[in-house]
Amino acid sequence: MTARPVTAAADLATTALTLARRFAAGATMWCLAPDWPEHAHHVAVEFVHPVIMGKRALPAVAVVDHDPVSWLRVQVRRHDVLLVVGRASTAGRSVLERARIWGLTTVWIGCGPRPEPGAADHVVWVDDDGPAAPYDGRVTQPYHLLWELTHVCFEHPGLLTTVDDAADEVCVTCSDEGSVAEVVEAGTAHAVVRDRRGTTTVDTLLVGAVVPGDLVLLHAGTAIARIDAVDAVARGGAVEAGRT
Amino acid sequence: MADGTDFLYPFIEGDERDAGALLVDLAASVDAKVAAADALRETTFARLGTEVSVTARSMADRFRRGARLFTFGNGGSATDARSLASLFGRPPAGRPLPARCLADDPAVLTALANDVGFELVFTRQLIAHAGLDDIAVGISTSGNSRNLLSAFEHAARDGLLTLGLAGYDGGEMRACGALDACFVVESDSVHRIQEVQAALVWRLWSEVQGCLDEDAPGV
Repeated sequence: MTARPVTAAADLATTALTLARRFAAGATMWCLAPDWPEHAHHVAVEFVHPVIMGKRALPAVAVVDHDPVSWLRVQVRRHDVLLVVGRASTAGRSVLERARIWGLTTVWIGCGPRPEPGAADHVVWVDDDGPAAPYDGRVTQPYHLLWELTHVCFEHPGLLTTVDDAADEVCVTCSDEGSVAEVVEAGTAHAVVRDRRGTTTVDTLLVGAVVPGDLVLLHAGTAIARIDAVDAVARGGAVEAGRT
Repeated sequence: MADGTDFLYPFIEGDERDAGALLVDLAASVDAKVAAADALRETTFARLGTEVSVTARSMADRFRRGARLFTFGNGGSATDARSLASLFGRPPAGRPLPARCLADDPAVLTALANDVGFELVFTRQLIAHAGLDDIAVGISTSGNSRNLLSAFEHAARDGLLTLGLAGYDGGEMRACGALDACFVVESDSVHRIQEVQAALVWRLWSEVQGCLDEDAPGV
């Protein structure tokens, strides 16, 4: 939509506009912070129960299940938002990957070494490698600001009708030749699969037996290859090891 | 608008289409808010530095005698109380200390809120769990949360070390007399208050760890 932002302030501005557009279109924001669950709860309560009287309550939910992929799979709708708070090494990476296959817009707030470019649709980062940032307010501040800016965007209704559809842009998980889909129901030669465009039935003869949850590469109505979930994450680039 | 003045209100009809100007404004507002938070942190640290050090020393003395730390708060402050407990209990470095948040268990919170009232959700847990040498830390922005004030009064009567974090002018927490220390972040923005409270918590934790290191025998 816009040129790549060059500062954290610009990252927050574009992220807030996307969030406001998603909320205006009926999205729920799912918040996940595997290493610091309090941040997921904090984000959710900010949006659901605004600190400023009169601001609208927005649907945001802290994800606390020990298996967030299985829990979210049945909760989320296409065009919802997944917000992850965590370092580049967070277990939330695998959830970000699935969320994009499900058609969600992804936001990643974190600190320390940055994840590779394109690891989420929006990345807001605190470039500090020390242990303090998750505790001393510096990781909290970006989502506070995100809430404040999202509500400023609501004062510009004309800008909220433009659908900034990240799911229709070229995705890190697919080339223009095909897209990654998740198996929902498996038959002998066919499977119902779900990808960022919705749910469809595809031919699975080329890839053999699949089970629900498997990832496959689609091309022309056919599953042409299996994708290991770890490979799907790795396709985004190398993961820097976390410090904690 | 038909009176020819709509040029004064370019967005009022909802036909604004170019997001460029808004994005520039939003980014400028982020820079201003970050600068405000930085300035608030600096003035607050300058004002409260000594009190933080004295409190850290008292907490370290209690931890050495086996104290447990109980934290509490409401809403966003409940999550900050949990963050504090997790920093003390499972720190990224240094000594883990027994600390937990009394806002963590929805069964306990809803049982108490339903049966005895929300004002007592933390007090009743302190009655069940806390003892003479323990430490109670409550976090608020207004300084007026009834359930925190009640918990502090009980904790003070039972001999716990009591620490409150508040915002605005400190509200009733600053005046209540049940607190051994009250760190007030003097601002009227809930978000900037919480950010600077978190910075104070990190400083407090670092100083407690420093005191325990000094006290460590034979190192």
